[in-house]
Amino acid sequence: MEYILNQLINGICQGSIYALMAIGYSVIVGVVGMVTFTYGEIMMIGAFSSYYIFTGLGNNLPLAIVGAFAGSFIIGSIVYKLCYERFFNAPRHISLLCTIGISMLIKNLAQIVFGPDTKPVLNVIDNTTFTINVFGADLNIRLLQIIVIILVIVFAVALTLFFNKTKWGVMLRAVSQNKDASYLMGINVKRTALLGNCIGCGFGGIAGILLALYYGSVSATMGASYSTKAFAASVLGGLVDIRFSALGGLCIGIIENMGIIFTSATFRDVFAFAFLILILIIRPQGFVSKKGARV
Amino acid sequence: MKKRVLALTLTFVMAVSALAGCGGDKKSEGGVIKLGGLAPLTGQYSEYGEGFDIGFNKAIDEINEAGGVNGYTFEIEIKDTQSEPVTTSTMATAFAEDEEVMALLGDFSSGACKATAQICDSYGILQLSPTASASDYAAMSKYFFGIMGRQDVEAPFLAKYVLKEYLKAQKIAVIRVDSDWGKSCYDNFIIQAEKEGLDVTVETYATGEKDFSSLITKMQAENPDVLVVMDQGDPVADIFNQADAAGWKIQHVALGPGTSEQVAGRLNDKDNLIVTSPFFFDPDDAELTAWAEWFQEAADFAPTIHPACAYDCVYLIAEAVKNIEGEVTRDSLRDALAELPEYKGVTGSIKFEADGDIKRNYMICGIEGGEWKVLEGFEYGAAGF
Repeated sequence: MEYILNQLINGICQGSIYALMAIGYSVIVGVVGMVTFTYGEIMMIGAFSSYYIFTGLGNNLPLAIVGAFAGSFIIGSIVYKLCYERFFNAPRHISLLCTIGISMLIKNLAQIVFGPDTKPVLNVIDNTTFTINVFGADLNIRLLQIIVIILVIVFAVALTLFFNKTKWGVMLRAVSQNKDASYLMGINVKRTALLGNCIGCGFGGIAGILLALYYGSVSATMGASYSTKAFAASVLGGLVDIRFSALGGLCIGIIENMGIIFTSATFRDVFAFAFLILILIIRPQGFVSKKGARV
Repeated sequence: MKKRVLALTLTFVMAVSALAGCGGDKKSEGGVIKLGGLAPLTGQYSEYGEGFDIGFNKAIDEINEAGGVNGYTFEIEIKDTQSEPVTTSTMATAFAEDEEVMALLGDFSSGACKATAQICDSYGILQLSPTASASDYAAMSKYFFGIMGRQDVEAPFLAKYVLKEYLKAQKIAVIRVDSDWGKSCYDNFIIQAEKEGLDVTVETYATGEKDFSSLITKMQAENPDVLVVMDQGDPVADIFNQADAAGWKIQHVALGPGTSEQVAGRLNDKDNLIVTSPFFFDPDDAELTAWAEWFQEAADFAPTIHPACAYDCVYLIAEAVKNIEGEVTRDSLRDALAELPEYKGVTGSIKFEADGDIKRNYMICGIEGGEWKVLEGFEYGAAGF
């Protein structure tokens, strides 16, 4: 029982990070209208931004979060200019190919600039473990896990408020739903899409810092496997609905970790993607209640 | 007139002969021996690939600056394989099809090295790997050679001498990478562990995995005496750091990284790691220390055994060339390498066995006060198995 509960906590924590990754991804897909292959590298840039802040300015978590958001936001704007802005009216595969190329370029540049070795991100948060008795079973939860889960909830709520309560949020939702109609309503679609892409990338950067904290390291090649998980979670949420994408990320994290109870960790991705396929067979639109629901 | 024609003809013939003779002397004196380097310059093993690059090139520069061997100088082209078998095969084929390439040096992982067996057999080109240690690697092809040492010696040494005798442990938790190399390690380990009566629980993870928290929770529930990680590089530090972060106080042991400064530098609890190692940068050995200092300066990180093996590989090829009488061909180079007498390299004594691999002896090393120390020397496991 203790073991299962502890695995559940691991799953919720990992799922929370996946949820944040998926939220950022869904914002990008929703606003820009195309999937991206640069998201893993965007997360890596966020992780490295925080690493250099931790190294240069001490273990200042709020500053590192701002730095990670800013770093990924800036790279996101470059990606937008190179991959999307010029190709809005071109066939979709052109932008897709551009994101593949830019992804490879960022990864290889990162290996040159940051170095090929993995950098440690240790002791940023106290290594404290709390033991809680739940129905007679000792549940171990680390301070780091609590902070990760709280941060994910805070950022998810903040983004939801931004989308629903601000003028820019309404413009972003409008562009997400119908670019032509938004243009006719006087919205600067390109500038709004740029902002949406950058916000999505900024959230990817924050997910990057959480990955760095949770796994204790950053490397230039860290993004590849996580971008797949972000995409999978986003697909579960119908690609453009941030609430259901977050739910998708959480489910993938829990399924992966609970699956390890029954078999080897080698098969964790098998559980995650088997779950994805199963859901898509039953509900091709993912978790969303109706087709077309957007950010 | 006839005499004049004859004289001119003779002069022409002599001039042509002299020119031809010049070309012939150049050929007999040697030329450039081209080597094909296979290394993970990018990707998760890029630290090792960079070490290979520096090690190979340093040895080549030294040999060429000393005038070469038998009139031959050396050059190497290194192709990035990411140590992925498919890419390694492609790059190995590209080298093998270039008739000027006399030998392949690399790759890093046993799996990637094994992927070129058919290519080396078909093209008749030798492959000398600095680091492949799977016990079945060299036996796959008569063109395969390796100098890292074999897992059928190191893994049993871990079970008997490190866990049973040195740590006096009984219940062992093993977390290993699910790769050719990891399987070879574990298969050789478990045979000896069962002989020693050790109670072993094992879990595997896929290459490239970063999250070990659920594995650690699973192993923690078994309440073992020692946590053993079988992998190289980053995952070793990641697993031990994540075990520490989970509040798990347990002795850490690793099979694979050797006395890696990169791993040591990334550990949260630096004084809780014991490893097996065939090699140690002894600070009392001036030559080794100079080599390590040079490498540190060139690479901007401390060396492990891996770049030192890469460096030795080039010298082994040079030694083989030295023993070839006549023209150097792929076949003559392969035969000369197989018959090479014992060679003393940076990493110690190297003598190929019949299958093209070598067997090394092992020490027990650990980190004390943040620095690697030899806890037990080669004599500790001298009794064998």
